[in-house]
Amino acid sequence: MRKAVSFILVVIIAIGIGLSLQEVPFGKTKSEVRKYCLEKGIEQTGATNIVTSVVVNYRGFDTLGEVTVLFLAAIGLSAILYREKEGERKNRRRSSLILYTGCKFLFPLILLFGAYIFIHGHLTPGGGFQGGAIVASGFLLVILGSRSWWGFNRSKMKITESLSGLIFVVVGLLGLLYGGHFLLNYLPKGIPNELFSAGIIPIIYIAIGFKVGSEITGIIDDMIRSG
Amino acid sequence: MYKNNNYSGKDRIKGFLWLFFSLFILWLLLTSTFYYQEFWVGIVISFIIAITTHEFYIRLGFPPVTPKRFGFFILYIFILFWEIIRANLDVASRIIRPSLPINPGVVIIKTRLKSDLAKIILANSITLTPGTFTLDIQEDRLLIHWIDVRATAIEEATEIIGGRFEKYLRIIFQ
Repeated sequence: MRKAVSFILVVIIAIGIGLSLQEVPFGKTKSEVRKYCLEKGIEQTGATNIVTSVVVNYRGFDTLGEVTVLFLAAIGLSAILYREKEGERKNRRRSSLILYTGCKFLFPLILLFGAYIFIHGHLTPGGGFQGGAIVASGFLLVILGSRSWWGFNRSKMKITESLSGLIFVVVGLLGLLYGGHFLLNYLPKGIPNELFSAGIIPIIYIAIGFKVGSEITGIIDDMIRSG
Repeated sequence: MYKNNNYSGKDRIKGFLWLFFSLFILWLLLTSTFYYQEFWVGIVISFIIAITTHEFYIRLGFPPVTPKRFGFFILYIFILFWEIIRANLDVASRIIRPSLPINPGVVIIKTRLKSDLAKIILANSITLTPGTFTLDIQEDRLLIHWIDVRATAIEEATEIIGGRFEKYLRIIFQ
């Protein structure tokens, strides 16, 4: 009985999905916006990575919102985890030489890779969010790998975070000044596929990279400090 | 960033230069072009990261660069690849034989290498070759898990597991 009911259910679901997919043409785009971005994207924004031109240029305001959401999440987390006394760590034994030396060797190289990802956001896959996450993963590696390492300066992290957020907003506001709307791409667009192209897009993505990197590192730091 | 300011100026410059050139070579590999924009941005980025994090590279134990050392380093890469292929075939043949001729156990080997970097290169080379795995390093002793324990005495085990890599590493690092 149960088998029969479940079989009938599966058949109904299969027919439902089949019918709804029938209307979607395979391999052709129905979306006008997508067609527009693919055709005019490079010409209008100068960025060869169309995803970046949508994220930072066509929908730049939305990205500002996303960055704010991340910022609020970090603030909320540190408020929840806040303690007057720093959490006591039970195991302060120094980690193995392999791990410790390996972390020290890899950390600057990971930072460079993260920077490479967010500097080339308008040319290659990836961008500010991804590059920032890579930078934060480098900090996480050092924090986990060398247990005695508590040296990094929290206030410098906060300053980096605030400054990069400020740069994003100021660059956007200058657009208002130059041509009348927020996040207008007022810098020369250059030749597509060169590093110095696409106007304000690389500047904003570098700011986002710094912001996301310092924010996620702050979250990791909060979690580890609270014990 | 790292709370230790007892390094001398010479140590700092050496650490900075090693880090700067490692970063710049990595940048060239990532961008794979010598186009002037990428080149100069790479130099600036490498410089900024090297200035802020060069303390990580100070006590790693990089050797001075000489043509002989560089040549042996290139040779070492090929030796390592050859050993990895050999060990792969060895472990694979052990696995597919129905009698499963393994005799796993943990042995201790000794190394005469001094610098941290040389020790972790040795440890990682041993880990990369299938069948042997470095569990830990303490002072000059390496704790190795071995799929087929052929020798338990320290000298003998050192010769079989570490000897094939260490003779090259000693030329490169000492």
